[in-house]
Amino acid sequence: MANPVTPAKATRQTTVRKPARRIRGWDNRMAFFTLIPSLILLGVFVYGFIAWSGYVSLTNWNSLIPTLTWAGLRNYATIFSSFRFQSDLRNLVVFTVLFIAGDLVIGMILALLVDQKIRAEGLFRSIFIYPMAISMVVTGVIWSWILNPTTGINLFFHALGFTHVPEWFLSSRFAPSVHLGQIDIGIPVGLLAVVIAAVWQMSGFAMAVYLGGLRSVPEELKEAARIDGAGPWRTFWSVILPQLKGTTATIVVIQAAASLKVFGLIYAMTGSGQDFSTDMPNLNMFQTTFQGDAFAQGAAIAIVLLLLMAAFTVPYVLSMLRGER
Amino acid sequence: MAGVRLSHVTRRFGNVVAVDDVNLEINDREFLVLLGPSGCGKTTTLRMIAGLEELSEGNIYIGDHDVSQLPPKDRDIAMVFQNYALYPHMTVYENMAFGLKLHKTPKDEIDKRVKEAAEILGLAPFLKRRPKELSGGQRQRVALGRAIVREPKVFLMDEPLSNLDAKLRTQTRVELKRLHQRLGATIVYVTHDQTEAMTMGTRIVVMKDGVVQQVDTPEGIYRRPVNQFVATFVGTPPMNLISATLTSEQGRFVAQVAGQKVALPEFLTPGLKSMTAEAMTLGIRPENIQLLAESDVPAGHLPVAGVVRVIEPLGHEQMVYCQVGDNTVVVRMDNTWRGQVDDNVVLAMESDALNAFDPVTERSLLTHETPMLA
Ligand SMILES: Nc1ncnc2c1ncn2[C@@H]1O[C@H](COP(=O)(O)OP(=O)(O)O)[C@@H](O)[C@H]1O
Ligand SMILES: [Mg+2]
Repeated sequence: MANPVTPAKATRQTTVRKPARRIRGWDNRMAFFTLIPSLILLGVFVYGFIAWSGYVSLTNWNSLIPTLTWAGLRNYATIFSSFRFQSDLRNLVVFTVLFIAGDLVIGMILALLVDQKIRAEGLFRSIFIYPMAISMVVTGVIWSWILNPTTGINLFFHALGFTHVPEWFLSSRFAPSVHLGQIDIGIPVGLLAVVIAAVWQMSGFAMAVYLGGLRSVPEELKEAARIDGAGPWRTFWSVILPQLKGTTATIVVIQAAASLKVFGLIYAMTGSGQDFSTDMPNLNMFQTTFQGDAFAQGAAIAIVLLLLMAAFTVPYVLSMLRGER
Repeated sequence: MAGVRLSHVTRRFGNVVAVDDVNLEINDREFLVLLGPSGCGKTTTLRMIAGLEELSEGNIYIGDHDVSQLPPKDRDIAMVFQNYALYPHMTVYENMAFGLKLHKTPKDEIDKRVKEAAEILGLAPFLKRRPKELSGGQRQRVALGRAIVREPKVFLMDEPLSNLDAKLRTQTRVELKRLHQRLGATIVYVTHDQTEAMTMGTRIVVMKDGVVQQVDTPEGIYRRPVNQFVATFVGTPPMNLISATLTSEQGRFVAQVAGQKVALPEFLTPGLKSMTAEAMTLGIRPENIQLLAESDVPAGHLPVAGVVRVIEPLGHEQMVYCQVGDNTVVVRMDNTWRGQVDDNVVLAMESDALNAFDPVTERSLLTHETPMLA
């Protein structure tokens, strides 16, 4: 009965895939032909314009007159040395990390609550997901009311007797205040208010994905853990959570992408903030390009964002493709 | 190790009574098999012993303790699941060690037990692998190993072989039986496969619709089924059931089968006395009948005439389907027998192997003093 399986595994992969490919050959070709129109459109309007932006970012087009002379990496040097863009990168990192962490934790808690075989589960699911349907700008407006230091939730804190109430998104403090070069690399406190709003808006998504993940963990696995003597916490940490690694990766990648694109929320709540303490690369790109008419520098920011986005998504997509095989 | 006792154990799901007033005494070191068709409540019974399912009524004792209200971890049991339920992210070693770790077993003790179990099960080379890198048979043994290392009072197994292919299943059956002897363990084993039940069980519990039909040794279940359900659920092909009319001649009971008289053996008399109606059913297994030419019926056999309708050759033997009146009777003959379809034959039934049933209640008419066939 001690039959080794390693060689069988290796051969199975090669022998099974070849015939499958041959049978699918015709279907593949058909699929390819029907996809040609959309491939062309996608090629021109997405990848074509990306390439165009890449090109513009290497030119001197920094006024209303399209000066397409070669500038090399000068625009990149300019933005990376600017106080504003450095602040943007700090804010982006802080925002992304806090937003994703908050999203994962709140999403998981909501999913665990909904997964308790409660009544009206569908209702709760809808309630938690609903904020996603709201535009980021609206979310921003709602939360700037709630978190308005003089009229919002602070009234409640005052009523409870607190005298030191948070300034929320109007704060320009850094905690802690640590200087590195020209910028402060602490956490901009004003940004925390934006994180709260973003988590409120997006944690329903994390909940939905986690709920699906939780539902796909076989009941028997939890029962095996119970028999092995694990309590609910131990079962969650040692048995359930490890099954949700892929689910977590999916949420992280999708939310990181969302976080890189965050614009409306910032625009509606804080704007760039004092000393760019709540500025974001997107806001910078928008203003540099369309208000400052520095098209090449705006394009450079866009390309940096694109590369950051790729850094998150490409490994994920590759691992998904590998998983499919 | 310890025995298990189920007392008036009942489980309802809404209106469905999945397990209905089950009383069972499982001895220490016994290999008890719960056998029955799908949906008869075997799994539910096992899960109640494990503590994964609550009891609607009744009590369960392990050793001398009433465990009815205890969570699984305090019952000192281990369970082998049908789909093994191995932790996918843990290695074979970690899978086996997990339960021990939770019970705060010292590290070197864990190591010793896991390696011992791996040795017994031939898993030593695979300790660092994850479940998905193992074959079905190996996974099954990891699931067994996870139970063994715990050294529980009782092993609970729910169709542990059903996901293996036929050859591996036969092999594992033998190994499991050997393991039972080696560990001296109390095992409660659920299956719908009568071959597994017959080959492994020290005793078998046959269930139907949540109700225990019979608790007996494999031989008892096979030879002296308590009702027609057990008679036909166990055995391939199942026991022949032949309708007959009961009469008596000079103080002896005689059955009329398709107009032919069959003088019933003495041991059936006490049971038959309780019959008020005339209709009865005779039961006999295919291997307890011989097909003969007319005259030479050996001693201890009861003849009835019939016609061969179908012959099913199986290589080492053949199944001969004969018509006796309105009944089809299957006879197991070795492959030296030469007969043709439409032959008139005499079916010589071994009288000691005869069973009788009340066709209304479908219960056996054999009293419990009825001797087992020699
Ligand atoms: N969780 C449950 N909810 C409702 N009905 C159940 C549940 N578990 C089992 N049953 C019912 O109880 C009966 C016995 O099921 P089970 O013990 O799984 O049978 P077996 O293992 O013998 O196939 C079946 O009719 C099944 O539908
Ligand atoms: Mg079952």
